[in-house]
Parts: sequence; structure tokens; C-alpha cells
Amino acid sequence: MSPRRTHTGGRIDRLKTIRFTFDGVAYTGHAGDTLASALLANGVTLFGRSFKYHRPRGLLTAGVEEPNALVTVLKGEVREPNIPATMVEIHDGLVAVSQNRFPSLAWDVNAVNQLGGKILSAGFYYKTFMGPVFGPLKGTRFWMFCEHFIRRAAGLGSAGSAKDPARYERMNAFCDVLVVGAGPAGLMAAKAAADQGARVMLADLEPRFGGSANWSDETIDGVPAADWARRTVAQFEGRDNIRLLPRTTVWGYYDNNTLAALERVSDHKEQPAKGEPRHRYWAIRAKSVVLATGAFERPLVFPGNDRPGVMLAHAAERYANEFGVLPGERIALFTNNDSAYRTAVALKKAGAAVVAIADVRPELSAEMRKLATEAEAEIFAGHAIVATEGGKALSGVKVQRFDMVTGALSGDARSIHADCLLMSGGWSPTIHLASQAGAKAEWNEALQAFLPPKPTQKWAGAGAFNGHFRTLEAILDGRNAGLSAVGATVTPMAYPSIESLPCDPSPAPVFEIRAKGKSFVDFQHDVTADDVRLAHREGFVSVEHLKRYTTLGMATDQGKSSNIPGLAIMAEALGKPIPEVGTTRFRPPFAPVSIGSLAAERFGDLKPDRLTPMHDWHVDNGATMYSAGLWYRPMIYGLAGETVEQAYVREAKATRESAGIVDVSTLGKIAVQGPDAAAFLDRVYTNMFSTLAVGKARYGLMLREDGFAFDDGTTWRLGEQDFLMTTTTANAGKVMQHLEYFLDVIWPELKVHVTSVTDEWAGAAIGGPKARQILAACVTGTAVDDATLPFMGIVRGEIADVPVMICRLSFSGEMAFEVYCGAGHGTHVWEALIEAGKPFGLVAYGLEALGTMRIEKGHVTGAEIDGRTTARDLHLDWMLSKKKPFIGSAMMDREGLIAADRLELVGLISLDNRPLNGGAHIVEEVDEANPHGSIGHITACCYSPALGKHIALALVKGGKARHGTRAHVSDPLRNRFGPVEIVSNHFYDPEGTRMHG
Amino acid sequence: MLITCPYCGPRDVIEFTYQGDGNRERPDPASQNFEAWNAYVYDRLNPAGDHNEIWQHSGGCRTHLRVVRNTLTHEISSVAFVRGDHASGARRKAEDRS
Amino acid sequence: MVERQSPLEPELHIGSHGNFEHGIEILLTETRPGSIVQLAAWPGEEKNLMTAIRTVTGLALPDGAGGGLSDGVKSVFGFAPGKFTVADDAEGLAAAFAEAVTPAIGTVTDLSHGRTVIRIAGPKAEWVLAKFFAIDFALTAFPVGAGRSTAHHDVFAQIQRTGADQFDIYVFRSFARSFWKALCHASEEVGYEVQ
Repeated sequence: MSPRRTHTGGRIDRLKTIRFTFDGVAYTGHAGDTLASALLANGVTLFGRSFKYHRPRGLLTAGVEEPNALVTVLKGEVREPNIPATMVEIHDGLVAVSQNRFPSLAWDVNAVNQLGGKILSAGFYYKTFMGPVFGPLKGTRFWMFCEHFIRRAAGLGSAGSAKDPARYERMNAFCDVLVVGAGPAGLMAAKAAADQGARVMLADLEPRFGGSANWSDETIDGVPAADWARRTVAQFEGRDNIRLLPRTTVWGYYDNNTLAALERVSDHKEQPAKGEPRHRYWAIRAKSVVLATGAFERPLVFPGNDRPGVMLAHAAERYANEFGVLPGERIALFTNNDSAYRTAVALKKAGAAVVAIADVRPELSAEMRKLATEAEAEIFAGHAIVATEGGKALSGVKVQRFDMVTGALSGDARSIHADCLLMSGGWSPTIHLASQAGAKAEWNEALQAFLPPKPTQKWAGAGAFNGHFRTLEAILDGRNAGLSAVGATVTPMAYPSIESLPCDPSPAPVFEIRAKGKSFVDFQHDVTADDVRLAHREGFVSVEHLKRYTTLGMATDQGKSSNIPGLAIMAEALGKPIPEVGTTRFRPPFAPVSIGSLAAERFGDLKPDRLTPMHDWHVDNGATMYSAGLWYRPMIYGLAGETVEQAYVREAKATRESAGIVDVSTLGKIAVQGPDAAAFLDRVYTNMFSTLAVGKARYGLMLREDGFAFDDGTTWRLGEQDFLMTTTTANAGKVMQHLEYFLDVIWPELKVHVTSVTDEWAGAAIGGPKARQILAACVTGTAVDDATLPFMGIVRGEIADVPVMICRLSFSGEMAFEVYCGAGHGTHVWEALIEAGKPFGLVAYGLEALGTMRIEKGHVTGAEIDGRTTARDLHLDWMLSKKKPFIGSAMMDREGLIAADRLELVGLISLDNRPLNGGAHIVEEVDEANPHGSIGHITACCYSPALGKHIALALVKGGKARHGTRAHVSDPLRNRFGPVEIVSNHFYDPEGTRMHG
Repeated sequence: MLITCPYCGPRDVIEFTYQGDGNRERPDPASQNFEAWNAYVYDRLNPAGDHNEIWQHSGGCRTHLRVVRNTLTHEISSVAFVRGDHASGARRKAEDRS
Repeated sequence: MVERQSPLEPELHIGSHGNFEHGIEILLTETRPGSIVQLAAWPGEEKNLMTAIRTVTGLALPDGAGGGLSDGVKSVFGFAPGKFTVADDAEGLAAAFAEAVTPAIGTVTDLSHGRTVIRIAGPKAEWVLAKFFAIDFALTAFPVGAGRSTAHHDVFAQIQRTGADQFDIYVFRSFARSFWKALCHASEEVGYEVQ
């Protein structure tokens, strides 16, 4: 038996022993334990070191709001830091370690920071690291110098660098009612809504539904509350209109009742089942929401309130009643409200000695006095705890007479021996989600708490969330909220009979006891009451500024326990009531969310790849694949021992000498159909398409509305009302949207339909002096001679029994043809072409050779049509029709777009025989020490096998006028400087004799 | 944010593409009125409140929608096809509405 | 007749996969229809197009956005105003519709090669699809026969419910293998069989 484990009671399974380690020490616990409860049962009091001062810290809470006991959980090589021990369910083989300590938790060298407390006050970093105004460490350099050491000393657990093998998933869910929180209120809401036939989701961040019923020690309708909860949940199971989500934190409330939740699916298991994710991110669209998120108990602020052994009162009740663990043997309590008396009775029942109850209120009700007597506790009414004693565990407290109106202490402090101090500073409804949903919280004087605002979205609150702290209220609230969420009439119900101890929910308005010593407000960020007052003295009056200056509430717990006490202290310093100071708006997430769950399935191998019909052939035939957007395309088909450059030079050379074939299936293809198709294309393209004959293709250029170049490609007229438009690979989606926009919004009168048929067709471009012979050898049903298939002509025929469409057009500058067939026949036709090409020395070539040949020809692609260039800049002004308006025609002649000094497309030849680089600047005079005077830049470059030189395309000021002159590349990043000659962009066969044959 | 497409029903904003200010008037294509073209291409309202916007349901039926959205609250007060003649396509069935 | 190559082939592993010890809850198949066409009516011509669809396929489309039906061999559903997808186990739909859909009614676009149809069936079909698409798959919101246009990241999808727990997903051919792999991956936790 563990030293602190009670003999009976609790919802743990005492028959199941679980073995785990913490900081390398082996412990045991029971099924149902959290890491916190199991360690507490083993007598562990020290759980971590604080953020700034490295003070020893123990458990403050039993739930998600825990600021102190943060641990790192190790799974193999993977480490997950900063998880509250209160939220870790133990399982066999669990390995957890403490954080922010060196060399060990018990002996931490940085604990010396405690001595420097005055120095490390609020704003320390801002003030210190503005840095000296001169010298080697001036300004932020001082910070950069110190940062490494500071980051090592301060902070939380360290993130791992091992690849996380766990699975994360995203789920989309729709429901009529989402109930957040499965305490008595939430359970009733879910039941009421589900009984009406609604689709209900019920989420709770704990593994066990029931909320406070699991530890309240009350009875509902004659049975223990925990049993009542279990029975209610049992009725849900097997019903197909209610989805139960235990271990699920609803962390975000967004527009249109869209909520985000994190389900911890398998963290509590030694191994996830096959295919089971670790976390599931739920995106929930709920028609209405019931917020039954309960309330958080607040700590009191007094010197030494962070010593291990000081804990929230209800947390101790939870440990005793829910986990069968006593947080101490001699327990003292400190409170400003009635709820701590219930705790005293519970702990007494569980076997602890309750030595004292210090209550700031001078007058106590007879009921509370009776409860204190029942707990055999000495009452100190009108007293406060002013100090705690001990080191890594509590040994005693000091209690002194306290005037709750003036805050004055009087008389002698009396020492009381205790190993555990439980505090209660009242309760704050957990209104985070309601605040995220958009409205401002309202201060309630009686409860000394912010209550949820009026809903701005479709939600209803229930139970403690509403400031209704009694279980009976929770049950009635829950039922009402559940019924009204589905629009049902709220009918009266028979009140359940509830046995509970008396409790007036109104606390005394006391948040802080001002006495000598460090009194913590934000435990996780080590913000003290004095820090808050310092911020006020230094002129911070807005609560939002206070938060940022002191970092109060900005740790991973997001101020769940510190928010209200901090605000109260600020209000007092300002001399204003709390509601006038206001509260900060809560923002998502309510609790930390794993990055993996946000990325979900969209990482690693699961980003969508687009593959061409011939993809597998390319891979099987030695292609190095290159990702171009989502597409995968062959870069080179390298032979053994070849470099990339050797491979593309060989491929390009072979194409120009005999023939080459390249997969062009990725080109965007859009079917443009309808009686107005030709008229539409006339408006979309700068040149005419209505004059294009059926069975012919034409090269077209599109501008944007602002007159800049947009995209280019060939469009084929397959029928009177039937065009096949091709676009560049990269712009396919954009062009489609552009066409759809004009048809839907601007010219709805045009009868034109556009459909993406990119995936319908496999495309192969075959070019070179032998290309026509190769086609002649394998095409049936049509001739391919110059008369039948002139330049820009289209024929239909068959290759290897498959229908094909062949258009004679050229990107490489050679006599070339594009062969299209149904995508499912792509590989079949490609292989037939390869086979037919064998006697002619046909090679398959990739993007590198394609790019090389287009640079040699001076054709433009996305690198030149970069959104900043005009048709004139690219020497495409011959395509600008003067006979008709077209998209961009009105704006393309603006002054700035026709200026003489615009960047124009030119060719460059490297004069030092060294490679050029994309992005390198062009200058008239080289100045390596102080590069300046750019007149343009390189857009594409290669080694040209046709010219035997390193060449490039560039956009250069003045362009054509500089043909035949010299300039220099200036590329300081890659340290490449050298002379170039500016020439025409048409390097190779400018007359086009090769492609016209 | 959800946009209720008249054809597809309420869908997540991720399925939609913003296609600009819905108040723009495209000048006559043959017009050389530079001021009018400049206003069409570049001038945009930036209201704090209801804004007339064009969205394409690009991840769904691909129609263009005229959406009135409050820029302060994200509240959408109306959604309609930009094309008036699509009205006959907006025949949501009873069960889709529920 | 040259057989069409499936884009899924190297990743199409017939048999049971994933966590199937407790039973198979998902069946995945590529339906490989012989023809798929997209039909689009000019405004005001929707009824005439629906009549043409009935003439060619024998399927009487119900009114309403996303309405559709399937007889197990032929399937049709609306995916946008005035636009319909039709699939048939047999080839030749495009030619048949080229006769029935006159230029005055609308257009016919053959997508027999361009779209890949993946069928997901089984008691967990809604569960697995919910991992991909932000639409409500509940039978009350998405009745049998109906179609939906949606997207998973960059992958456009038209989905027709062809049974209480059966859906046919039409995706672009180039994305099909990637989507198939993701679908298999997502089905692992419930156990799936590829047929």
C-alpha cells in the first residue's frame, strides 16, 4: 500500500496495478490514476521547478488548469514537454520526467535565482536588454549575446527533435447539439436533447464523464452522485444519435458555431491499436451548443502560497474522493468562502486530520461552524495565512488576525504544524469558450466572478458555467439548455432529491493577504503580486498591457487560476472596481493543442501528388522526378554515372540531331464549348480565334485586366463550337478560374461552358528532324506529311489501335508534334512511340532538356510571365490585335507600361565560359565590394549544347537597344561576377526553318 | 466561417475563393475612358460593416456568389448566385435544409 | 479494344488490410465505368437536358440541387446548377449524348479517362469520409442517389451516395492514386478490404 493511498473509496481500479517511472524512479499506481494522483499516492510532493526563480513546486490542482506540475512524457525517442501531470493517465511503461531543473529536481543549481528575486521582477528583460547605446554589444546585440544563456536557464520542458511516428487525424462532424462538459449539467443537457431525437455530441476533457459528481460525495435520487453519472452515461451507450467524446478538449469557438476539439485517442495506452491515431482534431459544426464547462477554483495570494503542499481545496477533495489519495496527513485550510468546509469534512472522512480552518470572514454561519466541528478542525475566523514553512514539502503555516475590510494584520502570528494547506479563493465560471465566441463577460458582485455574456452565437449555458454552483441547479439548467437547444418546449420536471452539504456560493471579496514575502499570482510564469503593483507604478493602466508587461496569464495554462486574482490586485492598485478594469478576452486554444493534430493528415507522404498517365514508365526508365507544384515530372533520364548537366545536354542534343519525346500531360487543358465559344476566346485572348479554322491550332496570349501578361498556350479548334485550350502547367487552375469568373460575372449572356479536361488527355510532344518519320511509322488512319499535317494543323488517327489527336506545333524549335490520347491509354501510346522511335535514335527527355531547348529558342514561361511583364516587354506585341477589345486592352497602354526604360526580354551569353545563375543581377559596371546599379536580372539559364555556351534569358532595362553590347552579372550571394554579351532572346534558328521543315 | 451556397448548402470557407469587391462596374469593353477603367481595376471600398463581395465556390459547384458580409462580425446577411438565370438551379430539397 | 490502365494499379492491393481482427468495416474498389460524361444545360434548358438524360439512360432525375440516382449500371447526379455527371458501365455515353443533347440544350464533355471513380462501402464509410470532407454524410442530410461537389485540400471530388453505406467518389485521374493511398491510410483503423 502506498503511503498516501486510502484503504477504500475512489474510482480507481485497485485490482489493476500499473507500473511507470518518473525521473527514472519506478512507481506503481492503479488503473484510473493520473500521473499526479499516482505520484501523490507514493508520497511525492515535489513535481517541478518554477519558470523564473526555479522554486520547488508541487501540485496546485487536479485538472487541466494545473500551472506547476508540468512534465515531459517520453515515448521512445519522442518527447512531449509541458503536459500537466494531472492530465496524464498512467499506463504500463509510462516514462515521465520533470522539467526545468539541473542536475535534478531536488538539487537545482538555478534555484539561486530565488535570491535575485528583486532583480528578476516584471519587465526585467525589457529594461535590461535595451542594451548599452554604444560598444560591441549595443542595442539588441546585448540581448542576442545573452539570449542563449537565458533560454537555457528559464523556461519549460524542451521539445524533441526525433521524428514523431504517431498518427494524427482530422475529423469533420455535424450535429444538432454539441454539449461541452459532461458534469451533471452537461449529462442532463445531452440526455434532454437526445431524448428529443436530436443528433448530439458530448465532449469532456476528462477520461470519465461525470465532472463534479465523480468527487462531490453527494447523492442524487438516493445513489452516490458518481453512480448517478455512470447510470446516465450507460443510457447513452448504444444510441446512434449521441456521440460520446471522452478525453476531448473543446478548445476553440469560431464563427457560425464552428468549434475545434482535440481528442486524445491513444495517449493513455501503451500502444495505439493498428491504424489508430494519437490525437484527433475535430472540426465540429453544431446547430447549437450547450456550454456546461463548470468553474475553476481560485487560489488565494499570500506569502509562500506556492510551496509544495499548498493546493486548491477542491483538488484535495478530488484526490481523496475520486482517486483515493490523501494529499497530506495534517491538513490546514485557508478560505474566503464556504466550499472549503465541505473539503474539510471530505478529508476527515477519508482519514486525514484537519488541524485548522483559517477563514478571512469574521462571522461564520452556524452551518459552517457545524461542518468544522464535524471535521474536528479548529476554526480561525477573521484570520489569514501569512506564511508557509518548509522546503520541498510543507511543514507548517503561520496564521494571524486579519481585517478583511482594511486588509490589516494584527496580533501575533501563530505557527501551526501541517503538511498540507488547502486554499479556496472562490470560484470563476469557465467562460473561455463563450468569450471566444465573441461577447464580453459581466462581473457579478455577489459571486465575485465574471459570468458568461449574453450569447452572440447559438449557445446556452448550464450549471456552474452560469454561476449556478449547486448540483440541483446544474441538473435543472442542463435539462433546460438541452431542450431549448433543440427548440423543444421546456416542461416542468420532478426535482431530483439531492443530499449535499450546505454551501453559500458567495465568497468574501478578498484575493490577497499583503504580508512580507513572495505572493504568487501566476504560478507558471512566476508573477507575484508585487510585480503587478510594479507594473502599475510604471504606468501600465490597461489590463491588456499589464498582461503583456508582466506576462501574467501568458503561460501554457493561459492564466486559468491567475486571471481574476491578478485583475483584483491591479484594480486595487488603480483604485477602481474590478468591472471597470475589465478582463482580457480569451482566445483559442482553451488548452494546448498538439501541432500534429493541426497538421493532421497533411504532412509527410500524404500531401496529394499529381501523377501523369505515364508516371510509372518514367520511374521505371530511370527518370529523376521533379516536383512542379503538385505534379511530378521527369527532370532527366540519367544514365549511370551521368551528372544532371551531362544528362540534359545529351537529351537535348539527341533531340536536335534525331528526335526526342517528352511528357506534356501536365499542361492545363480546358474544353471551351458552346455557340459563343469563339467570340469568348476573342475577348479572352489578345489575338483572334474566331478566324481559326476547324482542325487548326493557334498560339494565344492572355492579359490580366490591368494589362499585364497572364498566360500563354495553344488553343485547338476541334469543332465549330468546340475548342481545346491549353495553358501552362502552373497556371492551369488560375486560368480556369479567370474564364469562369468572366462567364459567370461579366458576360453571363455568352453561351459557353468551360470544363477542366487536363486529366482526360495524355500528351506526348515528339520533336526533332526524325519526328515525322517516327510518326509515319506508327500512326494509322491518317497521313502525317506536310500537306495533311501542316504547321499548326490537327489530324486524328490511331497509334497501336488507340485513337489519337496529333497537332503539329513546336516548343523545342524542331519539327515537332503533340500527340494526345485518352489518359488511360497514355502509357500504351507512349510505349508505341518509343518503340517506333528506336530505329531513329529517339530519346525520352525531361524538364531540364525541355527548358534548355526553350531557352535556346527564347520562348517565355512563368519565369518571364511573372506578373510584372507586359506583352511588349516579352516582344509579343505582334499578338495584340487592334481589331477588337480584349481583357487588358484598355489598360495595357498606360504610360508606365509603355515606358522606354522597362525591363525587356533579352538573351545573355556568358563571356567567361562559366555558368550563369537564375536571379543574378545584370550591371553595367561590376563593383564587387559594393554591388549596385542593377539594370535587370536573369530569369532562366542553361548550358546550350546547340551553341556550346552558357546562356541565359534575362529582363534588362532598355532590352533590344542593348543587343550586341556588353554587361556583367553581379551575384554577390553566390560570389559570381563576370562579363556577358546581351543578344536577342532568339539564340537558335531565329527564322524557324527547322520547325517549319 | 460558413457560406451557404444556394446550390450546395452551408460549406466551410475553405471551399470558397474570394473574387473581389462586388461593387465594381466593368466599363464597356471598347471604352477608352481611362478613369473608369482605373476605378474598375484598382478602386476598392473598405467598409466597416456590410460589404458586397463576390466569392466562387471553387471547392464545390464552382458558381460565383454575391455575398453580403459584415466585415466587423463576419455575419453573412445574404448569398445569391451572381448569375440571375441560375435561380432555377437553386432547388434545395427539404431534407438538405433541415 | 485496348484496355485502359488504372491510375491506382501499383497501389491497388487486393485483400484485407489494417486493423481487421475485429472485422472488415470498409470495402474499397475502383468501379472503372466504361464511360463518364459531364452534361451542362444552357440556362432554362435544364428540363430538356433531364429529358435527354432519361432518353439515353432511362434514369428519371429527381428535381432539386444535387439530385440523382443509380440503377447499379448507370448513374447520374447533379453537381452544379444545370450540370450533371453521368456514368455507365458500358462505353459510348459521349456518342449517345452527342445525339440527344442538341447545341440548343447544352454541351457534352467526355471525361471517361479524366475521372477515376472510387467506391467506399461499409458501416464505417461515413466515418472514413468525414476525415476528408467537410460535408455532412448522415443519411438525413445526404440521401441515397444524391450528389455533392466538394474538395479535400487540392483534390476536387464529386460524391454520389449509391447506397445507405456506399459512396462513389469521382476524382481527377491525376490525383486518384494519391487520394486512394490516403483513403487506405484513413481506413486502417477500422480494417478494410480492397476488392
